[in-house]
Amino acid sequence: MADSVQDLLTNMSNALVERERLARPLVVKISVQGHRVRSGTLWRKDVVIAAEQGFPELGEARVTLAGGSSLVAQVAGRDSGTNVIAFRLAGGPDPAPLPAAEPKAGALVLALGAAEDGASVRLGLIHSVGTAWHSRAGGRIDRRIILDINLGHREEGGPVIDSGGGLLGMSTLGPRRSVLVIPSATVDSVIEPLLSEGRVERGWLGVALQPVLLPEALQTVAGQSHGLIIMGTSKDGPAARASLQVGDILLSVGGESVASPITVAQRLGPDSVGQQIELRLIRAGAPQTLQATVGVRPPK
Amino acid sequence: MSSAAAGLSNRLRVAVLASDAGVEGRLAALVAQFGHELVEAGASPDACLTDGTAFVALSAPVVALGAAVEDFAGILPPDASPIQIDAALQAVVVGLTVRPAQRPHHGFEPMTEETAVVLTPREIEVLAALGKGLSNKAVARQLGISPHTVKFHVESLFRKLGAGSRAEAVVKGLKQQICEF
Repeated sequence: MADSVQDLLTNMSNALVERERLARPLVVKISVQGHRVRSGTLWRKDVVIAAEQGFPELGEARVTLAGGSSLVAQVAGRDSGTNVIAFRLAGGPDPAPLPAAEPKAGALVLALGAAEDGASVRLGLIHSVGTAWHSRAGGRIDRRIILDINLGHREEGGPVIDSGGGLLGMSTLGPRRSVLVIPSATVDSVIEPLLSEGRVERGWLGVALQPVLLPEALQTVAGQSHGLIIMGTSKDGPAARASLQVGDILLSVGGESVASPITVAQRLGPDSVGQQIELRLIRAGAPQTLQATVGVRPPK
Repeated sequence: MSSAAAGLSNRLRVAVLASDAGVEGRLAALVAQFGHELVEAGASPDACLTDGTAFVALSAPVVALGAAVEDFAGILPPDASPIQIDAALQAVVVGLTVRPAQRPHHGFEPMTEETAVVLTPREIEVLAALGKGLSNKAVARQLGISPHTVKFHVESLFRKLGAGSRAEAVVKGLKQQICEF
């Protein structure tokens, strides 16, 4: 009798339930007094990660593990650049790690989050997969993984797994309620600095930049059609110390021409801190070259 | 005239609930300050005000400060101002739900790769001057250019930003991404 009721849908449903069962130990509920409950992912023994943008300033939170036990967790560090906040627990379980997964557009995925008791599950597709990108806050995300899925605020920060049960990364709410994945590789790259330093250092110049179309007369001088106009400088920041001024038009940073903010972000990764960097710009219609020392981007 | 025409400055019967006597006293003082009558929770109040720690089964709508319980008609942050608290009490009594206006949640955004509209340095200056509400003449004086040139730049801004008015141009121009590095 049991054999005869097996069919495609039942098999698929059973497989989904099985994937959820294997991933559930990674899903935690994070409670902060006076705020809504959030989801997190037990990344490894005694380390929980969650979506940074969902948390107020805080020092500790209560983490409820999949088994139902709850622990006080300390905030080890947070990085708005990659939307990762790391919590440190003591005496938590050692979860069986899930295998790494390769994102493929069209593949089925499950996004898990914390429910009142246990985990909630969403099923959807990988909508698209792209190359590395930079967030508004300056972080580099290794892959652009967009899901065709709905996700509530409470569920953000939970693990996203593929049909093989492999871990793709952490779910994140993007613009207009789109759902992204912060890939495991990105989480792994920030977790050590978050645990040891409390933050991820990125290069900083202390300037506010806006893309600008160069007037024709200046295009010849500059050798390019676009630049980034300086709309503001931070007092005593690296740019101000290098005597950059509001109204200067930045043409290149470290020898690389900058027509879009992305090129600046690429040039100011974690390794750039402390480096001397050449800034080519146009001031009062004439090209100039200045040297700046890259500082450390302050927390937002 | 119906009572609705009397507006919202009604005197309400409000019950205050808090687990801490100090907090309860502070909330009670606030309620009294706005001219409402303090009553016991059991005395069929029009509304209840709580700090979110004291819970009793109530038939009256509740305004809670800092509570994460979604069922409450009114939820305010713990540091809500007295005016917000009074407004929330008035609103829940007439059957409305009150939530604080949140900082718009944009989600985790990418840095724009291609800015749709790229302005020239002069256009950016003119836009900033328009944002201060200056007339073409005043903009011209400030930037040391002729009013004709200003008009030219303003038209160019309207075209590039798809704006039909100066205000719209300023609003759309403000959305242009300024990135900080």
